[in-house]
Amino acid sequence: MTAYREVVVRTPLALKILPILSVATFFIAWEIVVRTGVVPDTMLAAPTTVTQLLFDKFTNIDPDGALLYEHAWVSIQEAFCGYFLALAVGLPLGLAMGWFNVAEGLARPIFEIIRPIPPVAWIPLTIFWFGIGLPGKIFIIWLGGLVPCVINAYVGVKMTNPTLIQMARTYGASDWQIFKQLCIPSALPMVFGALQIALACCWTNLVAAELLAADAGLGFMITMGRRLAMPEMVVLGMFMVGLTGAFIGVIIDRVEKRLLAGIRR
Amino acid sequence: MQDAARPRTKIEVCNLTKRFGELLVLDDISFSVAEGEFVAIVGPTGCGKTTFLNALSCLLPASGGQILIDGTPANPKRHNISYVFQEPTCLPWRTVRENVAYGMEVKGRPQKEIDERLDHILDLVGLTQCANLYPNQISASMQQRIAVSRAFAVDPDLLLMDEPYGQLDVKLRFYLEDELVNLWRKLQSTVLFITHNIEEAVYVSERILVLSNKPTRIKAEVRVDLPRPRDFMDPEFVRIREHVTDLIRWW
Ligand SMILES: Nc1ncnc2c1ncn2[C@@H]1O[C@H](COP(=O)(O)OP(=O)(O)OP(=O)(O)O)[C@@H](O)[C@H]1O
Ligand SMILES: [Mg+2]
Repeated sequence: MTAYREVVVRTPLALKILPILSVATFFIAWEIVVRTGVVPDTMLAAPTTVTQLLFDKFTNIDPDGALLYEHAWVSIQEAFCGYFLALAVGLPLGLAMGWFNVAEGLARPIFEIIRPIPPVAWIPLTIFWFGIGLPGKIFIIWLGGLVPCVINAYVGVKMTNPTLIQMARTYGASDWQIFKQLCIPSALPMVFGALQIALACCWTNLVAAELLAADAGLGFMITMGRRLAMPEMVVLGMFMVGLTGAFIGVIIDRVEKRLLAGIRR
Repeated sequence: MQDAARPRTKIEVCNLTKRFGELLVLDDISFSVAEGEFVAIVGPTGCGKTTFLNALSCLLPASGGQILIDGTPANPKRHNISYVFQEPTCLPWRTVRENVAYGMEVKGRPQKEIDERLDHILDLVGLTQCANLYPNQISASMQQRIAVSRAFAVDPDLLLMDEPYGQLDVKLRFYLEDELVNLWRKLQSTVLFITHNIEEAVYVSERILVLSNKPTRIKAEVRVDLPRPRDFMDPEFVRIREHVTDLIRWW
């Protein structure tokens, strides 16, 4: 309603130039260190070599068996499958655990047993169960994303203002009505927080899963780089993991803003 | 005054007792309230006024005694009980209008009836203008008016109010008290109004119950048979106010 006057904050010159300078120095120093042989090229690839490989991998499937974007696409698919499954199971479970004693009593102990086990530790078992294909990785990613979903939704419901619940009770509201009309809306900010956190978890676990058990994907590309003794492929894979993760993060951020705008007027 | 033909008893509290462990807070309280009556309850801080309302509204189980509404034990699912809490209780994700509608929605009233009643009540309390604003866009006093409107909207058998205007400045409080009395007369609800402001109690109510210190009992009952609108300067008003003040001061 109120029109805030926009405050124009001018970025100081130092903050405009220094970042560029710092990044440039970083890459140049890296290049020099490798080129002069201070670090042998069996241990690290120079940025120019990595860039070369990057362009090469747009069209050349050798030596790891797939184009760069194919690796990225496999990873993204896996991540999103696991992510949405984690949301679909974790959020309702966490919400229910926060309000219904039966749900909390049944699910909480099991959840607490599973929670401290890092999803990566499940990899050997999942290889027994699913092999190294898509389902196994989705399972790992799902486990990773599940935990923050459950916790955030649970905490969000627990934070419902108790006076509001009392107010509803005096009007004769049933448990289900209170859950639907008070607990879920109260938990929404925490649930939205979970969207971001869970995605980060999913992405991290995905790369870990691909490092150990995969035949495609960015993590697999990194492993192949190691096996083939090609540090430039390892570095390229690492950069792509970071870049794609950041890209997905931006998308989720956009979606979240849209959703929030839709729900809170 | 309505005194000539006092309507039937609406609420009957028999031997209500409440303990928190060893601490005896409500000690064997009995009284009754007639249909459509406006009763104020005053008492020293910490004497158990909120506890008393919580027991009446069944939020807290009583340790002994019972509360009858229309002759049956009070039950929020069966009876229309409204409770205006000390602190604001607006739902931040609902507009003013939706907030006022909340109680009626919980009770599953038909949408048409809800709409009609909303129009009526919002008009009575002058909230029509801001019906579509959200609670964070309006002031704290307006939030309390929403709670009061929501409470009246369900046409309550029993309306409990716990110092709803405790935090407000004097001028606004007078205004809201007038509004409250106005609502009560138009909608003819039975009201139990808690306050530790004696002037407020004399201004709004027909009868004042004075509570003692813990363990709390009803120490005295004062009728307020003054015509409305009431005048703070009226000698009779002042006499009653001082009488109640004495009762509270005189331990
Ligand atoms: N859940 C509880 N457990 C233990 N003791 C309680 C509980 N709730 C209230 N009490 C005690 O009961 C007494 C009455 O509390 P209550 O909140 O009803 O007072 P009050 O008259 O509403 O006070 P105020 O005027 O400050 O609102 C207090 O001494 C308090 O310590
Ligand atoms: Mg109180």
